[in-house]
Amino acid sequence: MQLRLITVPLSLVILLAVGCAKPPSEQIEAAEKALKEAQQSGAATYSAEEYAKLEGSLTALRKEVSEQDGKLALFRDYGKVEQLASAAKTEGERVRTDAVKKKDEAKAAALQAQQVAQEAVNSTLALVGKAPVGKDRAALEAIKMDVDTLKASLNQIQTSIDREDYPAAQSQAKAIHEKSQAVSAEIQSALAKVGKRKSSASTK
Amino acid sequence: MAGGICILLLAGCVPAVPPDLIAEIEAIDQDLVALRAPEAAPEDYTRFARQWVSLKARVQTDDDLIRWPWESNDLENELRQLHGEGWSAVSRLNRRQAAQRQQAESALGRLEARFLSITSHVDSIQGRIALGGKPVHTDLLLKQARSFFDQKDYPRAIHTAEQASHALAAQTAALTRELGRYADHQQITSWQAIAKQTVDWSRTHQSTAILVSKAERELTLYKNGRKVLSYPVRLGFNGIRAKRFQGDGATPEGRYRVTDLRGAGQTQFYRALVLDYPNAEDRWRFRLAQKSGTITPTSRIGGQIEIHGRENELMAQTLGCIMLDNADMAALFSQVSIGTPVTIVGALTRENAVANALAQLSDHNADL
Repeated sequence: MQLRLITVPLSLVILLAVGCAKPPSEQIEAAEKALKEAQQSGAATYSAEEYAKLEGSLTALRKEVSEQDGKLALFRDYGKVEQLASAAKTEGERVRTDAVKKKDEAKAAALQAQQVAQEAVNSTLALVGKAPVGKDRAALEAIKMDVDTLKASLNQIQTSIDREDYPAAQSQAKAIHEKSQAVSAEIQSALAKVGKRKSSASTK
Repeated sequence: MAGGICILLLAGCVPAVPPDLIAEIEAIDQDLVALRAPEAAPEDYTRFARQWVSLKARVQTDDDLIRWPWESNDLENELRQLHGEGWSAVSRLNRRQAAQRQQAESALGRLEARFLSITSHVDSIQGRIALGGKPVHTDLLLKQARSFFDQKDYPRAIHTAEQASHALAAQTAALTRELGRYADHQQITSWQAIAKQTVDWSRTHQSTAILVSKAERELTLYKNGRKVLSYPVRLGFNGIRAKRFQGDGATPEGRYRVTDLRGAGQTQFYRALVLDYPNAEDRWRFRLAQKSGTITPTSRIGGQIEIHGRENELMAQTLGCIMLDNADMAALFSQVSIGTPVTIVGALTRENAVANALAQLSDHNADL
């Protein structure tokens, strides 16, 4: 009898405890926050595949929360929600770190390419300075114009870097570098052809 | 007996999801990643990935569940549906990527070939200076497009190739604007008229006269109205254009006279015939250009336009003068005196080199 008296309230307490199960709000919010931070870090661009899957994890989490919420209070179980939220948070942080790393690498590569292009243009400019005036003038004037255009084009790389469009910056830098080298070769050829005699003074 | 029934029932049970189906969807996911679906078709891939991750989570949760063969299985049905959608996405992306690759390759190949051809035409008429920085701009865009193509970023390669195509069209249009007078029949008629007057003058005055055609880069000596000698010439570095101001490298067009003959020791060149540039008409044109603002107020008209020989064997271009090989210059020098008329025109025929080059460039533009 005594045992029955204890068992009945105890069962009620257990039932209430189970019936009062609530979604793990803090963990869900942490997972959502991790997704948002990953997105803000540029994961959609730099870790597109992983970011898409992270979104999938959050979708699964939300679905599970919704399913549990839709059940009768007594039958709700947020254990799986906790598990999914924890995994999504961990994954979100990993994706964010990965995206930041890849973005930094892309930026570093773009800056490196920019420097290489800048040096190539500077080197071509120095060569133009050595070219004698008045000899094979058409070629030299055209070369000067080309180098001026290349110099002006360097700004486009910076614009792309400022826009965080690092692939565009790299392709622009590569193009400028290649063209600059071609122009340098043209100058070397003109120099070889022309020699280093003094120029003729003329108004024309 | 009861045990036997249990064994029989368990043997009839099947796993919640066939393992092969999971492996196949994994493979589809890998195919989509290999096709760069996350970047190339982010909406498609995100939809697939969301569904896939969500179902995978359910598969893991339901891993220990078994069902009766006659029971409906929502999870398997959804996975099969995802499998179908994923497979369609892979096929669609494969087709799209192949089409984009072909489009980019074809556009790039065509543009690169045309750029080379146009560059060659422009060089042949020495029109490079007239184009300013446009050829470099086009070249850089083509190189960028090629770079995107090599990285298999076909959409960007196509986009950049389109930009290059516009740049190429603008380049051709600029050249036509600058040199269109060589294809202008009225202008050519006018040049033919002054050339005829020069030849007539030579006949009437039983004297020598010089005619220079810039498009053909040819100097012709007339004596008593008859063609005596013809020589190839070089012009200023921007000689194909009409002279506008000092230092523009253009060779003037108009009717001039020899004002001085400079022999050995009197010129830095082999021999030189000094012309009376700028004449009254040149001065009038220059003032008009300054007034209309097409040249700056600080610009000067220039001078010292000559017909001369080479300074040395290495010299290949002038600053606006007309240059002959020394042997030709020696022959010409001996036939000319102070006062000899020198008429410089853009072209003498409608089918001149510049007009032909412009026509070919125009065809290229139509193709673009």
